[in-house]
Amino acid sequence: MDLESYYEIDRTAEFILSRNFARVALQFPDDLLKDATKVVRALHTKLASLRASSGEEIRGDGDIGLFVMADTTFGSCCVDEVGASHINADCVIHYGHACLTPTSTLPAFFVFGKAPINVSNCVNNLLHTASTAGKPVMVLFGLEYAYAMLDLKKAMLEALVSYESQAELEIQFSDVVCSVLDPSGKSGDSGGIMELVGVSHANDAAGVKTDTRHSTGGLVWNVPQGRKVEEYSMFWIGSENAAFANLVLTFNGCEIVRYDATEDRLLTDLSQQRRILKRRYFLVEKAKDANIVGILVGTLGVAGYLHMIHQMKELVTGAGKKAYTLAMGRPNPAKLANFPECDVFIYVSCPQTALLDSKEFLAPVITPFEAMIAFKSGSQWTGEYVMEFRDLVTSSPEEVRKPSEEARFSFLKGGYVEDQNLDGIDEEDNEYLALGHATEKALSLLDRHPDSVVKGTAKSGAEFLAARTYHGLDMDSYSSTPEPFIVGRSGKASGYEDEKSCDKD
Amino acid sequence: MVKFTADELRRIMDYKHNIRNMSVIAHVDHGKSTLTDSLVAAAGIIAQEVAGDVRMTDTRADEAERGITIKSTGISLYYEMSDASLKSYMGERNGNEYLINLIDSPGHVDFSSEVTAALRITDGALVVVDCVEGVCVQTETVLRQALGERIRPVLTVNKMDRCFLELQVDGEEAYQTFQRVIENANVIMATYEDPLLGDVQVYPEKGTVAFSAGLHGWAFTLTNFAKMYASKFGVDESKMMERLWGENFFDPATKKWTTKNTGSPTCKRGFVQFCYEPIKQIISTCMNDQKDKLWPMLQKLGVTMKSDEKDLMGKALMKRVMQTWLPASTALLEMMIFHLPSPSKAQRYRVENLYEGPLDDQYATAIRNCDPEGPLMLYVSKMIPASDKGRFFAFGRVFAGKVSTGLKVRIMGPNYVPGEKKDLYVKSVQRTVIWMGKRQETVEDVPCGNTVALVGLDQYITKNATLTNEKEVDAHPIRAMKFSVSPVVRVAVQCKVASDLPKLVEGLKRLAKSDPMVVCSIEESGEHIIAGAGELHLEICLKDLVDDFMGGAEIVKSDPVVSFRETVLEKSIRTVMSKSPNKHNRLYMEARPLEEGLAEAIDDGRIGPRDDPKARSKILSEEFGWDKDLAKKIWCFGPETTGPNMVVDMCKGVQYLNEIKDSVVAGFQWASKEGALAEENMRGICFEVCDVVLHADAIHRGGGQVIPTARRVIYASQLTAKPRLLEPVYLVEIQAPEQALGGIYSVLNQKRGHVFEEMQRPGTPLYNIKAYLPVIESFGFSSTLRAATSGQAFPQCVFDHWDMMMSDPLESGSQAAQLVTDIRKRKGLKEQMTPLSEFEDKL
Repeated sequence: MDLESYYEIDRTAEFILSRNFARVALQFPDDLLKDATKVVRALHTKLASLRASSGEEIRGDGDIGLFVMADTTFGSCCVDEVGASHINADCVIHYGHACLTPTSTLPAFFVFGKAPINVSNCVNNLLHTASTAGKPVMVLFGLEYAYAMLDLKKAMLEALVSYESQAELEIQFSDVVCSVLDPSGKSGDSGGIMELVGVSHANDAAGVKTDTRHSTGGLVWNVPQGRKVEEYSMFWIGSENAAFANLVLTFNGCEIVRYDATEDRLLTDLSQQRRILKRRYFLVEKAKDANIVGILVGTLGVAGYLHMIHQMKELVTGAGKKAYTLAMGRPNPAKLANFPECDVFIYVSCPQTALLDSKEFLAPVITPFEAMIAFKSGSQWTGEYVMEFRDLVTSSPEEVRKPSEEARFSFLKGGYVEDQNLDGIDEEDNEYLALGHATEKALSLLDRHPDSVVKGTAKSGAEFLAARTYHGLDMDSYSSTPEPFIVGRSGKASGYEDEKSCDKD
Repeated sequence: MVKFTADELRRIMDYKHNIRNMSVIAHVDHGKSTLTDSLVAAAGIIAQEVAGDVRMTDTRADEAERGITIKSTGISLYYEMSDASLKSYMGERNGNEYLINLIDSPGHVDFSSEVTAALRITDGALVVVDCVEGVCVQTETVLRQALGERIRPVLTVNKMDRCFLELQVDGEEAYQTFQRVIENANVIMATYEDPLLGDVQVYPEKGTVAFSAGLHGWAFTLTNFAKMYASKFGVDESKMMERLWGENFFDPATKKWTTKNTGSPTCKRGFVQFCYEPIKQIISTCMNDQKDKLWPMLQKLGVTMKSDEKDLMGKALMKRVMQTWLPASTALLEMMIFHLPSPSKAQRYRVENLYEGPLDDQYATAIRNCDPEGPLMLYVSKMIPASDKGRFFAFGRVFAGKVSTGLKVRIMGPNYVPGEKKDLYVKSVQRTVIWMGKRQETVEDVPCGNTVALVGLDQYITKNATLTNEKEVDAHPIRAMKFSVSPVVRVAVQCKVASDLPKLVEGLKRLAKSDPMVVCSIEESGEHIIAGAGELHLEICLKDLVDDFMGGAEIVKSDPVVSFRETVLEKSIRTVMSKSPNKHNRLYMEARPLEEGLAEAIDDGRIGPRDDPKARSKILSEEFGWDKDLAKKIWCFGPETTGPNMVVDMCKGVQYLNEIKDSVVAGFQWASKEGALAEENMRGICFEVCDVVLHADAIHRGGGQVIPTARRVIYASQLTAKPRLLEPVYLVEIQAPEQALGGIYSVLNQKRGHVFEEMQRPGTPLYNIKAYLPVIESFGFSSTLRAATSGQAFPQCVFDHWDMMMSDPLESGSQAAQLVTDIRKRKGLKEQMTPLSEFEDKL
């Protein structure tokens, strides 16, 4: 596939011109970065020729500025608004896989790319699934296949004619939300694929438009009234990526099959994905036992993230636990292990980067939704799962929580565990005394376990530090005599000048 | 049955000298419950208004079906002593009325946690031993537990009827059997002797041994017979009792007592002559329906029968006659009243075992004096499901003070640490309840020395807790119970319908409460796990869960699984090194197995993180041959900071080493909990930190760099030290007749078990076999065994030790490798182990 059509140069150029953007940021994920210069060149040429052809005079301020952004701070599926604002961009063109979470300030235009797909094979598989499922089928797809959906539908309609003998097959397609996000509100469905909205198969039940709307990973579809989403069987076209994992988690009540377009095969065994849900359940149970919670800022772009962080903080402190907010870009085990005092981390980010589960992490990383279950008294794990935190944002801060009737039962410890909020209130009354108690406790803790840092016993960072054997700088030296002046090291951290000789690996 | 009102019962509860709290303990099938029934029938307290329509023995349906006791049940008995019989009683008393709180406990080893819970709240124990089978493994286990709790035992040799009817042994032979049974029991008691408790051995001639036939409802102690004969021989009772046991012979021809058998045909042992023979005679007369002979004999003994009873025939007649002549309740209850301590007496020496805090504070004093006016000290030993679904009574014993309805109490859970707020609640008691038979009666308050059930605290107590008054902030809790069994068999449960999960969670919560031993937890993979002591225990737990605690939701259970441990066989073949993520720090480590017995010493708490370093190094150097200096360089134990693995610092002159210690410890805690093979706990591994190279900047050698590196290097050293799996092994004891031995051996062989002791019980055709059996092979073991021996062999399995599996888990195709793969699959991990190259770095 040639560059022009893969990167949808024409459409992009039209979009830029139609809105008169002067500074445009092009955001590439790492794997597409190699094409960045070619894309910029092609766009420049296209823009120039378009302007010329439209007969527009080149205005005084000259050319449209195109800037390539690489290595985003957070997930590459989100629009990096902070990066774009460094160059005062008017809009962001986002290439590659996207999560389509709304942006907070900048308009964004998405180019999903086009992955090759064998339409006829896909249709065959789809029909096979539909005829065996005995349920209506909902077709969902990775955004890189969005371009092929029109062909797919056509091919399917043709195939259905020859399939007539069969009982009625109900196949419904989902649609891409939009390929343009504009936080200012004047949403533009200018994208070419937007005409797909409402196109559905002839056998569909009537009155599709009225009804419950569902969305995941940038796709939307409607479920007619009186029907539940669980009654559908889902057909996913695409690879096994984060978007798919989200789908499996969110619609864990549905039957889901996956058509892998690159390998051209239908996969029905999803036990591995099902395990994810159970694993998340375990993480929630584990989080309930946490005393210190780290809130990781995983996005600075997704609309409402700040609100979410505040809400999480309230939630955590409301549950009698200590919260620390940490901004560290993309989390990795080494970064998180720098905060061994945290028993659990809440990762506030776009839904597609939110699921971090690796054995390498010292403490579990959970999503805001899971945090809600874990820390809100009276909430239960019911199997329902929400990925996008927009759906969680509550308008009122928190309904008044009645003190829980029963002590909490911890499945990790196999018994009742006290929740500190029960007696946290009377501690507030005499705060200076409480501080004294805490110090005393911390000191006694140090005495009793002279050589152990036990996770989950400390209730605040200070207490944890006090329990460590090494506290960093020794602050006790109050000697009044001035210390001699010492010249520090110079050089790079990978090997200072004074130690070059020994460090050679 | 004694009809009582709650008020009358409550009145006796104040006489702390007239209360006996006791449990009935024995090996499975030695007749505890039957014997208890005969006591209850005579002296059980029931509420006046329901007399007649309550069956005391009515317990769980599954108990009846299986013929075993599953839950311990408490019953109160009332007994009024006559002045005559009390005249030799030296202890303190308030009148002649006695209240006996009796707890019947299960004999099957899988439920021995119930026994532990029962022992905690009682002061005395009636040890029941089958006169034919003798002292069995579970008799020994429960006796040991009882003595550990400073419970004073009395013994009854049960199933006497078997001697007379089934075996028809003659007097001398029977005496020898009884003597052996008593001796065996005394051997065990002597090993656990305790100066404060005094001599706990039992002697028939002192009246601390009874002879009973629970099934027929009769029993006697030598006291009964001594009373009968004392006047006849013109000696006092105690003298007579001595003559009725041991090497005392009587020749009716010469009317002389000797200490040796004179050899004359009429010379017989005192016991045989005066106790055994008369009973034998009565029984045989009854069985042969020689009524013309019987009535004069009975008249001589002073036994009068009702006229309708005189029409009975054979066995029924014998039963009736014996019950009238030697009623079990009188003999046993008098023995308990005479020889078992009252709460006020027992708490004097039990306080040391019970109270965790200083023994001179007011709480210890109140317990010691059993002071009803002192601060409340109450131990909840188990939770009993109440009739309204989902709620529980907190059942326990008041050791000091009084507990009353509406009282605000401090609940100190098992993890409570004095001075902290962890595991501590202040709540009000909604009701205080006592049992009157099957019926619960609410009373105003219950004073110390009694058992009590509390309503309204079940949402704060999982299994047990110490209660005290709201204001007693400096009280320490009562020591937690130590169980003799451990939950080694586990099963994963999930609900059939995913949306029933909340019901399952609720059900598991209740299950965890209802049983002192069961552990409900969750696996890393998100599966709910129920762990129990054995297959039978799990079966009962699952049944309870489904029938009683889940509200009708269905569950799916996995096959039973066993948890393994990971260890190493040798020292690492080389020092391994791992680099931190930034490549600027290097940790060098080696792993080696801990010395034999050291892991067990850590398990038992003889060596632990809180020891005085000097004391610890003394034990390590003297018992395990450690270098004295090295013993001071233990950084930590793990997992959970107390586990049987450790990190030892072997480096010399490393800069900044003190800074990374915490991080290495954190990495070790993590790694030792999830070993490199199958993420099972590690056991018996010592990790030696050989060398450390650190970056010059503190920021580049922080926790983030060192913790993951410590974990990797620990894995690398484990993998280079010939890693092995440890599997749990049961000690199995089987009792069976000789012809069943072949079947037992073949089943054991087939299940990878091996016999290490085979002994014939002297005087019986029974053999005692002791064997080791891997827990993983034990599923279905008892049914296979029963099938192979046509029901003659019944095994008792107790977790004994961890056994190393010799096959190499790193060698593909080996048995251990297969196990590792299975475990990994079950846990949802990658089936392939992470290779060493992922953990070890090269310079």
